[in-house]
Amino acid sequence: MPEVFNISQTPITAHAFNADRSQLAVSFNSNDAQILARQGSEWISTETLAEHDKVITSIDWAPNSNQIVTASQDRNAYVWQQTPDQETGKIVWKPTLVLLRINRAATHVRWSPKEDKFAVASGARAIAICSFDPENNWWVSKLLKKPIRSTVLAVDWHPNNVLLAAGSADMKARVFSAYIKEIDERPAATVWGSKLPFNTICGEFASAAGGWVHSVGFSPSGNVLAFASHDSSISVAYPGGPVHHIRMPTLPLVTLTWASEDTIVAAGHDCQPLVFSGSEAGWQEIGTLDNGSYGSGSKVGPGSVGRLKTGAFATFRDADSRGQTSSGTTDTKLNTIHQNTITSLRPYAGSPGQITQVSTTGVDGKLVIWDIASVSALTGRMAAMSM
Amino acid sequence: MDVAFRKIDIDVYDEDALQETELFDADPRDPAQVLEESRARQVSVRSLLAKNDTVGALTTILENAPYGPNVEDAKTISLQTLLTILNSTKSTEIPNVIKSLSIDSQDTLMKYLYKGMAMSGWADSNASVLLSWHEKLTEIAGTGCIVRTMTDRRTV
Repeated sequence: MPEVFNISQTPITAHAFNADRSQLAVSFNSNDAQILARQGSEWISTETLAEHDKVITSIDWAPNSNQIVTASQDRNAYVWQQTPDQETGKIVWKPTLVLLRINRAATHVRWSPKEDKFAVASGARAIAICSFDPENNWWVSKLLKKPIRSTVLAVDWHPNNVLLAAGSADMKARVFSAYIKEIDERPAATVWGSKLPFNTICGEFASAAGGWVHSVGFSPSGNVLAFASHDSSISVAYPGGPVHHIRMPTLPLVTLTWASEDTIVAAGHDCQPLVFSGSEAGWQEIGTLDNGSYGSGSKVGPGSVGRLKTGAFATFRDADSRGQTSSGTTDTKLNTIHQNTITSLRPYAGSPGQITQVSTTGVDGKLVIWDIASVSALTGRMAAMSM
Repeated sequence: MDVAFRKIDIDVYDEDALQETELFDADPRDPAQVLEESRARQVSVRSLLAKNDTVGALTTILENAPYGPNVEDAKTISLQTLLTILNSTKSTEIPNVIKSLSIDSQDTLMKYLYKGMAMSGWADSNASVLLSWHEKLTEIAGTGCIVRTMTDRRTV
């Protein structure tokens, strides 16, 4: 059974859990981030991180070093650390400004696996790779610029701490090398290449019909790249091998994560997480984590289309032939638990190669924790065919 | 006073400006060749329709459809040919015909339906045909097909 928490009436732009999942950092589409602590079945706000001047677009919490990084439309990022407050002695979160040197909004931020660097995607057609300079005690950034032609929408790190995948609004998903001489040791050769100086392109992929690449993800081994684009498709790319495109008959997916080497969970404008499974031979969709029985159902399910089954025609026809008058809200409530787009899907429980639970937040202000094992078939839909 | 500089389009000199052509892979075929192909397909579609092979006719016209800039004539010919196919199919047969098309063909068909609806003049006389095909196609291919029509820069 998925655990559902209604934590806000406003959309949740980003969420990140701490290492033991007892605390949650969220942005409620505002300039401040909230730290919520779990108490029983509720999430109570314990602290507000107020430093940004514009909406916070992305948050990431490093599990081992316990640092939070927030990126915002005000072209800045802050790294927050817990320190005792000088006056009261309480442990509070203190920000450190990171000079990103970008002249547009930051859209997405992720810590690297070793937590010594983080990557900030921005609308300035660049990705800022930030590392800590102990001499001056601040975070410095190096920009990955070529050949990005438009806003970068999502980034994901490879397990070797050097390669970075980025999805961009110029319809391409790319793999860059973010090797910083002072911080990283020479990485071993991978399927993506060897001897990779900063800003080398190790791969560039696009889906058939194009479309913004909303989300990218490396598999747990780092040998496969998956990306979701706006043409309602998910693509799985094997470097030097085939690229499998799965075209969905449903709305686009905007966020994805790998559950294991052969399973991907993704969610988006359909308001429910979908599970995909496959291997180098091919990928297909195997079902949804939301079988519709959890939400209170309505007459109009996600599968029915056609001008005679929805909306005004259906309302009058039902009133006429069945004597049913809509009580106003029943035919605007969706069958799924989430009532609006899911914008963020992150691993919640399980070891890095075998995720067992994922957490999702969306525009409806809900946080839901799903069990990956409970997959049910999508009813009323054509199962997606893999190319 | 020389004011000719005011007429210079400075955006073409801006390296950073994102051109439409960078967003999709251009059609590798030569425009004249594409036009020839469209005419040839128009002929073969007529013969297929005479034999009542609607699926074959649709597949012929939808595969490798002309797209992008420079091929306007070919696009118009393809659209007209497609409209004759749509008009000649009985409404009870439409779902079966659509189901036997590949996903690529279904996506291209959706693009042509929207193009047909957008063209002023054509839309008035063909509206009901286009709308009924649109309804059946959406039932089978889903809203994802419509999203791909809106997202794909390879306009037919």
